[in-house]
Amino acid sequence: MTSDRRVPRAARRAVPPGLLATPALAWLALFFVAPVGLVFWYSLGRKPGLYQTHANDVLTLDRYREALGDTFLTSFSGTLRIGVTGTALCLAIGLPFAYWLAVKVRPHRRFVVLALVLVPFWTNFLIRTIGWQVVLSPEGFASRAMQSLGLIDAPFSMLFTRGAVLLGVVYNYLPMMILPLYVALDRIDGSLREASNDLGANRWRTALQVTLPLARPGIAAGLLLVFIPLMGDYVTAAVLGGARGNMVGQLVASQFQQAQNWALGSAMAVVLIVVIALTILATAAAGAVCTWLLTHRRRRELAGIAEGSAA
Amino acid sequence: MSSSPTRNAVASGRRADAGDGKGSVELRSVSKSFGGVTVVKDLDLSVNPGEFLSLLGPSGCGKTTTLRMLAGFEQPDSGEVLISGAAVQHLPPHKRDVNTVFQSYALFPHMTVAANIAYGLRQRRGIDRAEIRSRVAEALDMVQMTRFADRKPNRLSGGQQQRVALARALVNRPGVLLLDEPLAALDRKLREDMQVELKLLQSRLGTTFVFVTHDQEEALSMSDRVAVMLDGRIEQIADPYTVYERPATAFVAGFIGQQNFFDGTVADAGRAIEIDGGTVLPAEPVTIHGSGAAAVRVAVRPEAVTVAEAAPAGPDGSANALPGAVAAVSLLGDVLQYVVHADAGHELLARVPRRQAGRLAEGARVWCSWAPSDVHVFPAEVTPRAPIGSAK
Repeated sequence: MTSDRRVPRAARRAVPPGLLATPALAWLALFFVAPVGLVFWYSLGRKPGLYQTHANDVLTLDRYREALGDTFLTSFSGTLRIGVTGTALCLAIGLPFAYWLAVKVRPHRRFVVLALVLVPFWTNFLIRTIGWQVVLSPEGFASRAMQSLGLIDAPFSMLFTRGAVLLGVVYNYLPMMILPLYVALDRIDGSLREASNDLGANRWRTALQVTLPLARPGIAAGLLLVFIPLMGDYVTAAVLGGARGNMVGQLVASQFQQAQNWALGSAMAVVLIVVIALTILATAAAGAVCTWLLTHRRRRELAGIAEGSAA
Repeated sequence: MSSSPTRNAVASGRRADAGDGKGSVELRSVSKSFGGVTVVKDLDLSVNPGEFLSLLGPSGCGKTTTLRMLAGFEQPDSGEVLISGAAVQHLPPHKRDVNTVFQSYALFPHMTVAANIAYGLRQRRGIDRAEIRSRVAEALDMVQMTRFADRKPNRLSGGQQQRVALARALVNRPGVLLLDEPLAALDRKLREDMQVELKLLQSRLGTTFVFVTHDQEEALSMSDRVAVMLDGRIEQIADPYTVYERPATAFVAGFIGQQNFFDGTVADAGRAIEIDGGTVLPAEPVTIHGSGAAAVRVAVRPEAVTVAEAAPAGPDGSANALPGAVAAVSLLGDVLQYVVHADAGHELLARVPRRQAGRLAEGARVWCSWAPSDVHVFPAEVTPRAPIGSAK
């Protein structure tokens, strides 16, 4: 009691800096850093025998050589194409929609529209993907209905192609694009658009010069939230892609589950992580360069006014 | 004063554009409603080129909607809007000869101060880079913000942001500048300084200013004319002196400055008004149509009321005088304000220059009196204390 009284109240209550972040850091270490480190470690090993999944008795880069074989590279380039196209499509569909939602829809109706965006999320990922399989099936109700209405001549032929996978991933990941875009656009004060309009810019110029630059954080978040899980997705491809539409996520999964070759699977996973990271960095760099080029002329035009060169 | 040549250049540039009604504003029976609620009712308003006009009124009176219809952010349901002589009611904001200073300033957060000011010039064709640069520099100099040209708006104080917003609008040399309560977010001292600066700037540039405010002092101190609005209509439009000295309605009388109101009835063929516990003499006979003793409302300004311990002498000793007791005394800078409880139950406000009279103590017995020329008489229907939503 007496020793307690000598310590000031505030000091006793003070929390060491960083303590509040400890649970999150522990979580990150246990469930992200450790597994990824483990995967990297396995990727340097080998599959010693038929009934063992991995061994690190010999450290080698052979698994990477094996991983970068033809099958993997073909599948990989296809995946990258689906990843980039799918993310771009999500942005192209999500941006106008989020703008409409944040700007045009009356505030009390926004929650209804947002709920409609989120309803598919309440359904199991696998089930709603299988739903698309039913819809796209050549013998399915949609195909038959459209044939009997004379809208198409032949049954649907889209199922088990890359096109079907693309449709599936855009459908599955679109909400992940819309939500951050909506938040970013909603935060832009409407009077900024009015000011731009007032100063002589029509709506397109306002969108390009005011709305889009201010929505950049939301666009970046949306791109990341769609691109990263999409690149590793194997459920959509497995259900809708068949043999022609497979994705690299399926190859990784099959190494772990069917072939029981954890070493090779790990090497493939590491390659996937590195390529995703490089793609993001390249996109970010390209974005920064574009912004710099677009604003460079403006900045040079007005540079130095503050130094009194006005006189 | 080394900067005065450039300021004159801005001013003369503006005047060179003038002519054939540039800078005039006219609203012809304009109405606007939102979701069934009529916000502006059949409004007529005309502003002369180069005039400083204030739209003054309580919140919800339609003054901001009127301004937004001038800017083009709202379309009137009916009526015509003319700016610089041209009908513009169907034109979008970017095609109108007006610029707006927003209440929130609405500076673009991702651009520097200089880029904000250059924004309007960049949207136009036929302005080369050298001209943009020199006009931005001039505008910055005009509001004394040259030093801050390369800063982002979030690193400026409220007053500085206000100046940038002003420069961003004026650099386009609009025929009419619209200001939507631009000083509301500033603290009192800064607001008073900006009022003076804004007024000086306006007379130097000769640009028409339409200024929306709910602050009657602000409107009186800056404007050439004040339009007092209530319920989507203009109650009175006149120069500040007239609005203050000769309010057209009881609402205007109560909204501009303070008033002592008495309810009473007309007596003595309009030469007197009987109120509880006394008689009020108006300067001119009251002509209110109606049978018998018409009900009226009488307004007397606090500064017109004299407070004395002795009963006022004169032929009409009992008229325009009420006995009572001092209930409170407060010092408002250079004037003393007395709250007097009249014996008849009225509560009177009186403002006396501090140096003119000795201070009376609380509880002192006094007489409040005023001259007939300070009495304003209005029909009794309107309730000035609750102006919003009241029917005329």
